[in-house]
Amino acid sequence: MIRDFFYEAWFLSLRTLRRFFRVPANWIGIILFPLIQLFVFSQLFKDIIQLPGFRSSGSGSYLAYLAPGQIAFTAFFAVAWSGSAILVEYRNGYMDKLRATPIYRTSILVGELAPLFIESAIMAGGILALSVVLGATIKTGLIGAALILVLSGLFGMAWAGTSFVPALLTKSEQATGTLSLLFFPIAFMSTAFVPPALMPRWLQTVNSWNPITFLIEAIRPLMVSGYDWAAIGKALVAIAVLGLVLQSATLWAFRRLTA
Amino acid sequence: MPSSVIEVENLVKVYSGGTRAVDGISFHVGAGELLGFLGPNGAGKTTTIRILATLLAATSGAARVAGFDVTTQASDVRRRLGLAMQTPTLDTFATGRENIELIGRMHRVPRAELKRRTDELLELMGLTAVARKLAGTYSGGMRRRLDLACALVHRPQVLILDEPTEGLDPQSRIALWDELERISQDGTTMLLTTHYMEEADRLCNRVAIIDNGRIVVDGSPADLKAGIGADTVTLQLDANGPEDLARQQEDVRGLLRGFGSLESVTPEPFGVRLAIRDAGRAIPELMRRLDGNGRVVHVIGLAVGQPSLDDVFVKYTGRRIRAEAADHPIILGW
Ligand SMILES: Nc1ncnc2c1ncn2[C@@H]1O[C@H](COP(=O)(O)OP(=O)(O)O)[C@@H](O)[C@H]1O
Ligand SMILES: [Mg+2]
Repeated sequence: MIRDFFYEAWFLSLRTLRRFFRVPANWIGIILFPLIQLFVFSQLFKDIIQLPGFRSSGSGSYLAYLAPGQIAFTAFFAVAWSGSAILVEYRNGYMDKLRATPIYRTSILVGELAPLFIESAIMAGGILALSVVLGATIKTGLIGAALILVLSGLFGMAWAGTSFVPALLTKSEQATGTLSLLFFPIAFMSTAFVPPALMPRWLQTVNSWNPITFLIEAIRPLMVSGYDWAAIGKALVAIAVLGLVLQSATLWAFRRLTA
Repeated sequence: MPSSVIEVENLVKVYSGGTRAVDGISFHVGAGELLGFLGPNGAGKTTTIRILATLLAATSGAARVAGFDVTTQASDVRRRLGLAMQTPTLDTFATGRENIELIGRMHRVPRAELKRRTDELLELMGLTAVARKLAGTYSGGMRRRLDLACALVHRPQVLILDEPTEGLDPQSRIALWDELERISQDGTTMLLTTHYMEEADRLCNRVAIIDNGRIVVDGSPADLKAGIGADTVTLQLDANGPEDLARQQEDVRGLLRGFGSLESVTPEPFGVRLAIRDAGRAIPELMRRLDGNGRVVHVIGLAVGQPSLDDVFVKYTGRRIRAEAADHPIILGW
């Protein structure tokens, strides 16, 4: 039974990955914006690093400070519209074709969600590599880099719920696109651009709850100083809670749609 | 094994908006039989098929496919069912081969068998040359054939096809008919829907005419047409102007008075049209009658037309089927 489920989810996931990587616009679109931010902002605000608040972050340059945030942004963008693919296939009947085969209904959903781990991790890895090319470092080496990818992948898979729930509930791509935009401020209010010490009090409060901030603050030491297991632990807990809440809602919405 | 592979009893579907799409349909399809659902758009064909394919819950009534109940034993039904919906549903970012293989895997076709079966189906559907191209680049006819290949990959006992030739050019349609005929002859039980008379006539052992969610009549195309009664015989007359034509038409009427199987005589610009039961057998006697008694009738042409399913449809519904796009938009939220 569980073997059947893994078998189905495996082949459906391979299909989803194929669908994603075969369209270059998919991954170029995801990587372009963080890359531009990384490149332009690191030049534009080069001297911002002199501000006292930055010292405790351990980053030697603004590029080094910026890179972890843009890696997290990439994982965020990788899944920001992820729910629309399942919507397209619900509408054009492909989901019915799968539902008419003797598989678990949930395999279809897992086959859409599980590959987002790989997609987010690979996209984040792309920005990580590009930031190193631009001059950032990874203090913890290959193992640290692998950890960054795993954290990004897990975050992407959890965050995907913000796109899947509206998609499955509204059955409208426009609505899904618009609702996705509502989540963008959460990314921009994170510690991607400036450390909390330089933020107004209310933003500091927001960031003590912001899952994207937890991700960024776990990635940053891995790049600039060394393993900060406390930060990694906090990020994992934040991702787990986020994932549990959002993916339960996704599962509920999916069952409602396909009832 | 039950003799009826598809059994439907008093099926009703009322959509949430209140549309009574299926209004008490009952029918059986025997093993190896090919039943055609013939009906205009909105008749309830797709709705019935979605219920049989376990994709939609009926409001009431029961349906069994291959001996299994579509609601309580859905996975048993799915294992034995091949399905192709009204518009081909393909993964457009996968190649032809990948499309077939994925559906085969979901049906648990063993790996070695899957490879063989996929090759065979690609060949059968004339897709071998494009097997490695993305399905999104395929033409309409190729998509249909690939969709059909997906439906056949696990050698289903029952094949259900919704408007299998919708949107195809005449040439591709005829090629697909040949294919469907071959599949049917291999012993697969088939149910297909269509709003093309010709298609139902050519392919189906039995046709059920469906209108407004009900089956109005069913039977073999030949029996249904025989039920219409008369054949149409047209006589072309050689006349010198309209007065002569009128005289000849009157003479035909007079000569045929009391002719056994004649049902009606209708004047036409070219001559007369007769409705005659069993025209094939009546024609020699008919010609003898027209040839004599001093009245001169110049018959220069004679044609016998069989009644078509079109006539059958008109007889039972009082309307003609219009050939138009069969798609309707899915109703969406927001
Ligand atoms: N999802 C739906 N919700 C509400 N009404 C529907 C839905 N699908 C079909 N209908 C309606 O049910 C009737 C039968 O449709 P359908 O089964 O698609 O007919 P056919 O396939 O014979 O053209 C039509 O009046 C159609 O508008
Ligand atoms: Mg239809």
